[in-house]
Order: sequence, then C-alpha cells, then structure tokens
Amino acid sequence: MQLKAPAPHLYDELFTANGDVRPHYQFIAQWLQAAEEKRMAEKHREANALFRRSGITFNVYGDTEGTDRLIPFDLIPRILSASDWELLQAGLRQRVNALNRFVHDIYHEHEIIRAGIIPAEHVFANAQYQPVMQNLKVPRNLYAHIAGIDIIRHSDGQFYVLEDNLRCPSGVSYMLENRKMMMRLFPELFAELPVAPVDHYPVLLAETLKAASLKPDPEVVLLTPGRFNSAYFEHAFLARQMGIELVEGADLFVRDGKVFMRTTAGPRQVDVIYRRIDDDYLDPLMLNPDSTLGVPGLCAAYRAGNVVLTNAMGTGVADDKSIYPYVPDMVRFYLGEEPLLKNVPTWQCRKEDDCKYVLENLADLVVKETQGAGGYGMLIGPVASKAEIAHFRQAIRARPDNYIAQPTLSLSTCPTFVNSGIAPRHLDLRPFVLSGKKVQMVAGGLTRVALEEGSLVVNSSQGGGTKDTWIMER
Amino acid sequence: MLSQAADSLYWMARYLERAENQARLLDVSLNMAMIDTPEDREAQLAVPLEIAGTRELYDACYQELTPKNLVQCMVLDRNYPDSTYNLIRKARENAHHVRGNLSADVWESINSAWLEIQDFSQGDVTEFNASWLSDWTRERSHLFRGAAYGTMLRNDAFLFLRLGTFIERANNTARTIDVRFTQASLPEHEKDARGFFEWTALLHSLAAFEAYQNLYGHNLQPLNILELLILGRDVPRSLQACMKEIVELLGQIDGPRGRSAKRLANSLHANLRYGDHTYIADRGVEEYLKDFIHRVDRIAHEMQRSYMEGQA
Repeated sequence: MQLKAPAPHLYDELFTANGDVRPHYQFIAQWLQAAEEKRMAEKHREANALFRRSGITFNVYGDTEGTDRLIPFDLIPRILSASDWELLQAGLRQRVNALNRFVHDIYHEHEIIRAGIIPAEHVFANAQYQPVMQNLKVPRNLYAHIAGIDIIRHSDGQFYVLEDNLRCPSGVSYMLENRKMMMRLFPELFAELPVAPVDHYPVLLAETLKAASLKPDPEVVLLTPGRFNSAYFEHAFLARQMGIELVEGADLFVRDGKVFMRTTAGPRQVDVIYRRIDDDYLDPLMLNPDSTLGVPGLCAAYRAGNVVLTNAMGTGVADDKSIYPYVPDMVRFYLGEEPLLKNVPTWQCRKEDDCKYVLENLADLVVKETQGAGGYGMLIGPVASKAEIAHFRQAIRARPDNYIAQPTLSLSTCPTFVNSGIAPRHLDLRPFVLSGKKVQMVAGGLTRVALEEGSLVVNSSQGGGTKDTWIMER
Repeated sequence: MLSQAADSLYWMARYLERAENQARLLDVSLNMAMIDTPEDREAQLAVPLEIAGTRELYDACYQELTPKNLVQCMVLDRNYPDSTYNLIRKARENAHHVRGNLSADVWESINSAWLEIQDFSQGDVTEFNASWLSDWTRERSHLFRGAAYGTMLRNDAFLFLRLGTFIERANNTARTIDVRFTQASLPEHEKDARGFFEWTALLHSLAAFEAYQNLYGHNLQPLNILELLILGRDVPRSLQACMKEIVELLGQIDGPRGRSAKRLANSLHANLRYGDHTYIADRGVEEYLKDFIHRVDRIAHEMQRSYMEGQA
C-alpha cells in the first residue's frame, strides 16, 4: 500500500521532514508498502470481531443508543525508539515523584506554599482539595500510586506533558489488549523486531497495590462503580489479571472502623482498595450523600488507618489544570533537578494579563476547563465556529478562574488506516507510572489517535481510536 | 468469594441450563404435535408451558396455541420472560457482572451467544426451522459447559456456577416427568401407539432416549423409564444424578455457612440413592415428584440465604 508523507510543518513519527523513513520505522514502512489492501482490510475485520466477542467495549456517556461501542483500533503501530523511551522514562519518574511529594506537602507542612511558589488559594480553594487528608499519614507517603501522564510530541520533535491523570487514570487495558491483538494478527512482525513486552503490567500493578499497605500480605480489592461505567471492562479485566476481587460498593461494609467484604464464607477484611470511583462518591456519609456507589463509613476507616485507598483521597488537587503550570517548579523545589519533560506553555485566565491575552487570541488557542476531563468542555480555537468562540468568550468572562488556555500544539502524526488507504493522523501517548516500593512502568502506553483528518481530539469519548505502542528495545 | 458474585454465577448457569432444557422441550412438543390428531395437538403444544408454569402468561399475549405462535413466544418474544432471547440476555447480564470470575473462554461463549441471538429476527423464526434453533441453543449451552469445564479454575466460582446448573436441572427433570407422565398414563393411551410416543417424548425431553435403549433395549416399560429418570445413577439428567452433584458441590464449599442447605441436600440424595421404585410407587409418582420439587426449592432457598445474600 502507498504511504503518504504528511504536510512538512508537522512532525511525523514515521517520516522525517525530508520524507525519509526514520530508522526505527524502516521495517514497518517496508511491510506496509508490501501489504495488500485486501488482506489488511480482512485483518481489520478480524480484529473488530475479536474485540466484540471478548466484550472489549466502551460505554459513551450521553449516547442513549450504543451502550457498548468498540473503540476503533488501528493496525499500524506507533513506534518509539529506545532513546526516546529512555528520556520519557526518566522524565516520567521524576515528574511523578515530584507530584507525590507535592500532595504530601499540601496535606502536611505546606512548604511549597510558604516558599511562595504556589499561591495558597490555588490549593486550598481547589474543589479537589480534601481537608480530611490534612495530617493523615499514608504508607510510604504515597498518594498517586497509579498515574497516567498524557504526552504529545510537538512539531519541534520534543515531548510535552499535556496533562497528569492522578485520580483514576484508565486505558491500560487497551494497551494490553491492543498488544495481544497485534501479536495474534501479525506474529511475524514480533519475530523480526525487538518490541519491548508490556504484558507484565498486571504483575507490577499488583505489586504496587500490595506495597500501598504496610501489612505483609494485604487483601486487595478493586472497587468499581459497576457494569454501567464506561471503564467497567477495564475494571473486570484488571481484577481478573491480578486475581483480586472486583467489588461494588454494596459488596463492602464498615464495622468497628474496618472495611469488610461480604463473602460466601462470611465477612473478610479488606486492606487495600484500588478504587476506580471518584473521591466524591466514596462515602455517602462524608461526601456526596446521594451516592449509591460508595461505602458508608469508608472515610472514617481510612482516617483510622485501617484501609488504604489507591489512589489516595485528595490526590486530584495535583492533576487539576490550574495546578498543572506549576509542576516544573515542583520538580525544582522538591527534587532540586531540572525537569526532563516540558510543560505546554499555559495561560491562566485567573491572572488578569493572561486572561486579556486569551480573550484576544481565542481563535488560535486551546481553552480548557480546569476541572474538565475526557475532552468535554474544551475549545479548539483554529477549528471552532464563531458561535463556539463567542460562547467561550462569555464563559471565560463570567468565571475566569475556571479556564486555562494553551497554544494549539501540532500533535505529531503517524500513518493510520483510513477509508482512502493510509494517511497521517494526529496522536498522543499515555504511559502508566506505578509508585510502590519503587517507581515502575512498562515500556509502552496507550496511543490514542484522532481519526478525522486534521483533528486534534484523541479522546475515545469523542470518536478517537487507539494503536498498539511499540518501544524498541534497541 | 463475594456473595453477590456467587449469586450472579449461580443465576447465569441456571438461565443457560433453562434455555437448553426448554429448547429440548419445545422441539419434542412440536414433533409430537405433528403426529397428533388435531384435538390432541393443543395439549401437546401446551406441555412446555405447563412445565414452566407459564400457560397464563402465554394466553395473555397470544390468542391461539399454534406451533407458529409457540415458537415465536418461546424463542424471541421480548415480553415472555423465559424466551431463549431473554434467558440468554439475563445469563449475559449476570456474566457481565462476574466477568472478573470467568475465564475468557466462558465469557466469550456467553457473549457471542448474546451477539448472535440479537441478529435473529422474528420473521426468520417459524415452526419449520425450530429444530435448527433448538440445536443452536443446545450447542451454545454445550459450548458454555465445555468452556467452563475446560478452562475454569476449580474454586468457589466454579462450584456456584455448577450448583446453578444442577438446581435448575433437578427442577426441570422433576417437572418434565410430572407433566409428561400424566399425559402418558391417561387410560386411553395405555395400550396403543400413542402411549409409546408419549413415553418416547419423555425420554427425548430429558436427552435420555439413547441411554434407555442402551440399558433396557427397545422395550419401553413405564416402570423402567421412571426408574431410569428418577433413580438412575448414570443418566446425567436423572433426579439422583442431579442430587449427587448438588451434594458433592455443596460439600466442597468451605466455611461454617450453609449447614441447612447441606443437610437438606444430603437427606434428599440419600432418599434417592437408597430408594427404589416400589417406594415411589407406594407414594404415587405425582405425589413423590411434588415433594421432590418442594425440597429442591428449599435447598435453593437455603443456599441463597446463607451464601448469596451476604449478611454481615
């Protein structure tokens, strides 16, 4: 099949600016050129049938019809060279360390605030800030045990962190299933190329969850909001892979300040809860009284140190978009190092000068709600209609501190199957970083790809797809 | 294991077993209706509904009891709770809840059944291809059972899944014998060919026709048939075989709970194991079966209470 070089002002993962194939893509480029369109279409159908049969589907909120939808899967892998990964790995480790130090600090001594680096109101007035966490000791001072860091490559070829996800980052099951699918469809490629394995992720995750408690052999469970959650497939998948119970709120109860699960053999105490529900829904007694997802009394048990939550409560402060601009300063402040990964330059509408600039340049900027997630509540200036821009202008004027803005980055592109053959499409990368006794990650991540030509929105809730991510071992 | 998960596994298996049993009952009834006189046809068609105790439900939706209507109702009717469609839907919902406790093969066997049945449309389903649909349903059930046997860890999840299968099966066998026995023993059927077909239908409904021939030859004797289906140790759907499994499965569940379920099951099993046909004949077959169904329901109820309701 024919490979097309992308527009020259973009960074392409496969082609250099001169239109040459990058060394780590040589083999795949030849393989694609030799591939027959018919065979690839067959393979694509096979992949979809397999995904559907195994129930690897995704529920989209606000969509009444398709409760179970497949995330489009692209057959062309996204490949990163060994040296790229080395930089990413060191940078991620550094960043997640600093973020954990930051969360610990804001719930203890507030040193970074006293040093004048982050204004107090950014932290304490933040909706994600949980006063109940103040002075609570958590094992190993760890808060973000599981982090998913969204990274893009700009047209300058450099990596930038777009977002830190420290609450309940999802998507890792797609990383694992995509690899399984590629190995099933194209085993011959793996015989030829030194692709780093990812399938030990559940082992590392289980290790991390156990290390979250100081007990020698803690009972770990995964708490899901239930079958109708968009990520239920992932919850069940991870619980099964780790051999731990998948529980819903109703499976748990609190007695004498301890958490138990209801089992066929009677109550069994739970030590670590890998919770995939948000802070607000954890305990109807303390937080959202309407929540039917949580466990009454859970917060008290947590405060008493009788159960560990991963990630910790109140961790969301650190991944809030209003705190994001300060992460490089955190690295310098807590670790005394220069950040290895860059932040995207960010204007904070809460600052008068920034706000003015943003309002004047809306058509060129990406505007995000500080509390938004999943690509909802976002304006992409260059492709937005006049009405959308006007709507955001009004919204920013009304609540400036709800918004940040960033330059429209040109996410790098990668060849992707589309109706007309193969064409470049924009993508990002979400590696998963695990913090336990040490910081660990598998060489890989979730690559999301925007399937519409020119689109920069990769979120699966907005029609994005995924690719298998290959890190070359040499 | 989690009480709620045990509950879902148990019901998942019950619904699939029910789908398989019903497919067989429907198939047999349609075949019998073909050879019957028009007057008896309706009685034949009513058999699966009588066994399930859903005759009233049927009459509320359909004016006439015809082969076509019966097939429509029992296979794809969204409003009939025990249609194959609804049984597979409910099995799949339960499986979805315990996805974490199932092997990938078991999950896929159920999920693909659900995906396939959604593609069947009412127009495709008639009394003429009902056999094919019955084969399909039974194959899906066999596939599920094979996947469960071949790939599931032998832990509590497996035990509760198997308990669901055998509680449903015990119930179904007892009800099927009850209804078919009444049909077959009508005095006017005693001596003629009709009687022969009735007894054959009973054996086919419980997949025991070949087993009977193997053990007793071609000579169909009501007493032998009842002995085989109630007391037979080696026929997979006999009452004794079901109770033997239930006792063994319950015995493997560790822990202090479930004593009353275990006690009731053991006593019912002993009753069958050491009983003989004169004992059954003395009590009267119908009376005996009624008592059996009642006792199985109690065992199921006790299991539900002690394992699946998750009391703190």
